[in-house]
Amino acid sequence: MPVKMLDGNGAAVEAVRLVRPGVIAAYPITPQSSIAEHLADEVAGGRIKAEYIRVESEHSAMSVCLGAQLTGVRAVTATSSVGLALMHEVCGMTSGCRLPMVMHVVNRSLAAPWSLWCDHSDTMAERDSGWLQFYAGTVQDVLDLYLAGIRISEHPDVLTPSMICQDGFFLSHSMQKVDVPEDSAAFGFVGQYRRQNMYLDPEDPIFVNDLTPTDDYGEMRYQQMVGFRNAAAVAEEVFAEFQRRFGRRLETVRPYMLEDAEVAVVTMGSMSGTARYVVDQLRAQGIRAGALQIVMYRPFPAGAVARVLGQIPVIGVVDRSAGLGAVCPPTCTEVAAALRGKANEIRSFIGGLAGRDISNHSFERIFADLLAIRAGKRDTHCQWFDLRANPMDIRVLSGEEDAECIK
Amino acid sequence: MLRIKFYGIGGQGAVTAAKILSQAVSIYQDEYAITVPAYGHERRGAPVYAHIIIDNKPVALNCYVYEPDVVVVFDETIISKGICVGEGCHEDTVLVLNTADAGAAARYRAEFNFKSIYWSDGTGVAMKNIGIAVPNSAMLGALAKTGIVSIEAVEKAIFNSFGKAGEQNARAAREAYGQTGRA
Repeated sequence: MPVKMLDGNGAAVEAVRLVRPGVIAAYPITPQSSIAEHLADEVAGGRIKAEYIRVESEHSAMSVCLGAQLTGVRAVTATSSVGLALMHEVCGMTSGCRLPMVMHVVNRSLAAPWSLWCDHSDTMAERDSGWLQFYAGTVQDVLDLYLAGIRISEHPDVLTPSMICQDGFFLSHSMQKVDVPEDSAAFGFVGQYRRQNMYLDPEDPIFVNDLTPTDDYGEMRYQQMVGFRNAAAVAEEVFAEFQRRFGRRLETVRPYMLEDAEVAVVTMGSMSGTARYVVDQLRAQGIRAGALQIVMYRPFPAGAVARVLGQIPVIGVVDRSAGLGAVCPPTCTEVAAALRGKANEIRSFIGGLAGRDISNHSFERIFADLLAIRAGKRDTHCQWFDLRANPMDIRVLSGEEDAECIK
Repeated sequence: MLRIKFYGIGGQGAVTAAKILSQAVSIYQDEYAITVPAYGHERRGAPVYAHIIIDNKPVALNCYVYEPDVVVVFDETIISKGICVGEGCHEDTVLVLNTADAGAAARYRAEFNFKSIYWSDGTGVAMKNIGIAVPNSAMLGALAKTGIVSIEAVEKAIFNSFGKAGEQNARAAREAYGQTGRA
C-alpha cells in the first residue's frame, strides 16, 4: 500500500474519493475548511466524479445530501462545531429516514465563548440524534473508520448514518504517515451503493416524511434502536473483514495494558496515544497503569467496556466536553452505566476544552490523582484538570502564575 | 524519540517547514514523524509555533512539545516579543538559529544555555535563491546539519511539496546547509 503524509483533513478527502460519491455538498468552516476545499479540487480535477453542489449553510448541505442520497447515490458532506449544530434538525431527518450517510466531523468547541479549537462538545450534542459515532485516534483512523463506517451504516440490518469524528487541529491539521489503500481495493471493500429503503425517483416524485401518526412513531423509533443494536455486531464483522483485507486492526474499544492494571484512564480521540505513552512510562516505574480508548461511542460498547474495565479498582474517565449540569459528562456517564453494580471507583476528569492541550503531563497528573485514590484518598466525583489556580477570576492580574492543577 | 519545536513569525513558513520535515523523515528516511501545529489567531508578524515528534516506530504521543531536544528559531528577534525559546529545554537541547550574525548566536548561547547552536543566514539565502524573505526551506537545510535528518531527504521532501518552486527552495536548503556555522 502506498504510504502518504496526510493530515486528518487530507485523509478524510482520500477516504471520500475512495468510496466514489455521487453528490457532495459542503459548507466550509474552520477546522473542516480544507475538506470542503479539497473535495472541490478533486471534483474539478475529475478525480471524484460527483456533482458538487454549493450551498449557503450546513443546514442546506445536509438537506442536499439527504435528498441526493434518497435518489440512490452516496452523498457526502463534512462539518465542524456550530456547523454541525446548524445541521441538527436535518441530522435527525437523515437518521429517521434510515439513510446510511457517512459524514466527517472535525471536532471543535461550540460557542460561546467563540473558539476555533478542539473539544467534543459539538458531536456530544448530537449523541442522541440517531447517528453512529466513531472517534479517530490517529490520521490513519480517519481514513480507516470512514471506509468501515460506510460498510456498517449501509448494512441492511443497520441502515443508520455515521459520524466519523476527528479532533480539530490535533488530527485535522496533524501530518502523519498514512497507508492509503489502492482505489480498487478500497472500492472492493465498500462496494457500489444500493438504495435499500424508501427512495426518490426524480421521474416519479413522491412526498417523503409526511405527518406520522402517534400510532407509528414509537415503533419507528424502536426500529432505529434495533438498527443500533445490530450495529454493534455488524461493526465487529466489518472490522474483522477490514483487518483481513488491509492488515490493520480496528476495534470498538482499544484496551492497553489493562489485564493487571490497578488504575486506568478512559479516553477518546487524539489524546489516546498520549495516554498510552504515559502508561508505558508508569509501567517502566513498576506502576500498574492502563488505558482504554473508546472508538465507537454510538452505539456505546457497554459489554466490551465492562469486560475490560470490570476488574480495575480505580478508573478515571477523561471527557473533552463539559457535560454541564449532568452528574458527570458524556463519556463518564456511559462508562459508569456500563460498570453499574460493580465495585470500581470511577472518577470523571473534564479538560482539553477549546484546544487546551492534553499533554503527557496532564495524564501524569491524572494518574497521580488516581493512584492517590487507590491509596485511600476520597475526593469529589467530578474534577476539572489543567485549570488556572483561580478559574472564577481569570482577568485578575497578579504575580501568581497560572498553576496547572486539578480542581 | 526526538521532540522538536519551531518558533517562527507568521509569514515565514514555519508550519509548512514542519510538514516538510515530517515528510522528509517519514517518507524518505523510513521513520515516523507527526506534526502538532499550534494554530492561533494567525496573522503576519505574530509568533507561530509548530511541534514535531520523530521516532523509529509509530509515534503514540499527540500533544505539544514541552521539553524539546531541538529548537529551531526562524527569526532571531522573536525573543524581543516576550517569547522564551529556552522554555523546557534540557542540558542536551540544540538550537538552530536563523541569523546572519555570529554575535547573535553567541548571545543566544549565553542567555539560554543550549548545548550547541547551529546558525545560518536563512533569510539571506532565501532572498538570493527564491527572491522572497521566507526562510523555511533554508532553515530545514540548517537543521539537516544537526544530523537529525539528511539534506538529501530534506531536498526530496521540498521538491515534493513546492511543485514549480521546488528547485529554488531545494537550492536554498542546500546552500544554507553548506554555510551553517556551529557555536
